[in-house]
Amino acid sequence: MNIAISAKKMLWWSLLLVYTFFCILMLGIVLQYIPAGPDTAFLGIKQDYIELPWYLPAFYIHVFTAILALPAGFTQFQKKLRRKHPAVHRFNGRIYVFMILLFGAPSGLVIGVYANGGVSSQIAFVLLAMLWWWFTWQAFVKAKKGLFRAHRIFMIRSFALTLSAITLRAWKYVIVAAFHPHPMDAYRIVAWLGWTLNLLIAELIIYQIRRP
Amino acid sequence: MRTCLFLFPAILLASCAGNNERTGSEPDELSASLMLETNYIKPAAPVMVYGIEGYYTGFFEAEEFDANKNYMWSNKITVSIDSLSETTLYGHSVVAGNVRPFSGTYNRADKTWQATVSEPGDDRYDGVFTFSVHSDSLVLRGTWTANDKKLAVTKRKYQLEHRVFGYDPNIDLPEDVTYTKLYGSYNEEDESVEAITEDALRFNPSVTLLKKEDIENMYQGDLEVMRNSIYARHGYSFRNRRMRFLFDQLVDWYMPVSVNITGELTDLEKKNIDLLKRYEAHAEKYYDVFGR
Repeated sequence: MNIAISAKKMLWWSLLLVYTFFCILMLGIVLQYIPAGPDTAFLGIKQDYIELPWYLPAFYIHVFTAILALPAGFTQFQKKLRRKHPAVHRFNGRIYVFMILLFGAPSGLVIGVYANGGVSSQIAFVLLAMLWWWFTWQAFVKAKKGLFRAHRIFMIRSFALTLSAITLRAWKYVIVAAFHPHPMDAYRIVAWLGWTLNLLIAELIIYQIRRP
Repeated sequence: MRTCLFLFPAILLASCAGNNERTGSEPDELSASLMLETNYIKPAAPVMVYGIEGYYTGFFEAEEFDANKNYMWSNKITVSIDSLSETTLYGHSVVAGNVRPFSGTYNRADKTWQATVSEPGDDRYDGVFTFSVHSDSLVLRGTWTANDKKLAVTKRKYQLEHRVFGYDPNIDLPEDVTYTKLYGSYNEEDESVEAITEDALRFNPSVTLLKKEDIENMYQGDLEVMRNSIYARHGYSFRNRRMRFLFDQLVDWYMPVSVNITGELTDLEKKNIDLLKRYEAHAEKYYDVFGR
């Protein structure tokens, strides 16, 4: 029994370690954009769009606010923390929800319309932004109504999409290392793979939770 | 980007990008090819007076060399006979991104002209050319001996043909380049090399204004060859081996005549260069890393 518990603990700790690692990588990507400049990193190949008055504001809002959804992964899903310090859960939860609903998802939608890789990846990113907003909104509404089981289910979906920030980039790394595809082909693949697989896993977890 | 082709030609693989024989330091590949020297004023094409003036282009091949050093066995060279006086022959050579003037004495026996000319001697790679030119066949052949006997290559030989240089935007790259493995691209870890694909031939960037959709799915090497094809059409002599090897060895129409072509690029070419550079820089920095 004790061994089983410690094995589970080990798994959690290693997952947390991996998660921390990727969060640091994400922070590194965000920090590239300080100081802001129209030629930095990703923007170097977005010259057609940065002339649109709404593109750069949406882009920077997305970069600097969407990252604030990631700390939720450290605090919101731990039963112990939730019970001992419900105020922490509520505080971080509010940051998570408002950052996504007001900034992260709407700005994601705007830049998703101009995504690299043509119609296929544009649909992928627009759909991702809309679902992200909807799941987060539903999770918030359910919590307000005190429907915590439904809140949990929607938050699992919402966070699965939050994680696509990491999984999209991780898939790209893996696919490029393994197959050396043309750059935009890789991008079109990860635009879909980056979040649909996460959502599938989320539904499997939800299925487990729902089972009596 | 890297096609896994195991142990392709030994010459190619044995020599990774390193020092350049006729230019002191080699900047890193990408920035070298992005950079164009601006402090050199291109001489006007020579005028025929004595019947042998003009550009002679061909291969500048190693004859005496230190096999342990990282050297280039063959570079494309243009030897230009600029003018002659009663006693002196004046000219310059263009090879491997290096333009060097020379002058010296000559003898004439009927239609054969013999000359021994020296480079100024203030460059590490300066030396002495000894050649003969036949005024009917207009073939220039001879040897070059380095002043510095410690160089990787201390003697080279050449047989060059008289050629007129003219900028032709419509001239395309030969299909042969698509089978090429880029010089110095061998990766020891996974034994892969970087190859050029058909994409490099899809557009002529001296004629067609490129859109981002045209090039966003292309590999870095193909973009680099496309951009450098613009420079090659203007007769730019490549300093970096990665591009030099390809244009020297595979592109027949290519002849190096200048290291400063910035003033000669058309507006369309400048726009294409800017776009290609952006995608090259992006591919270089982000293609295989965690990110987009």
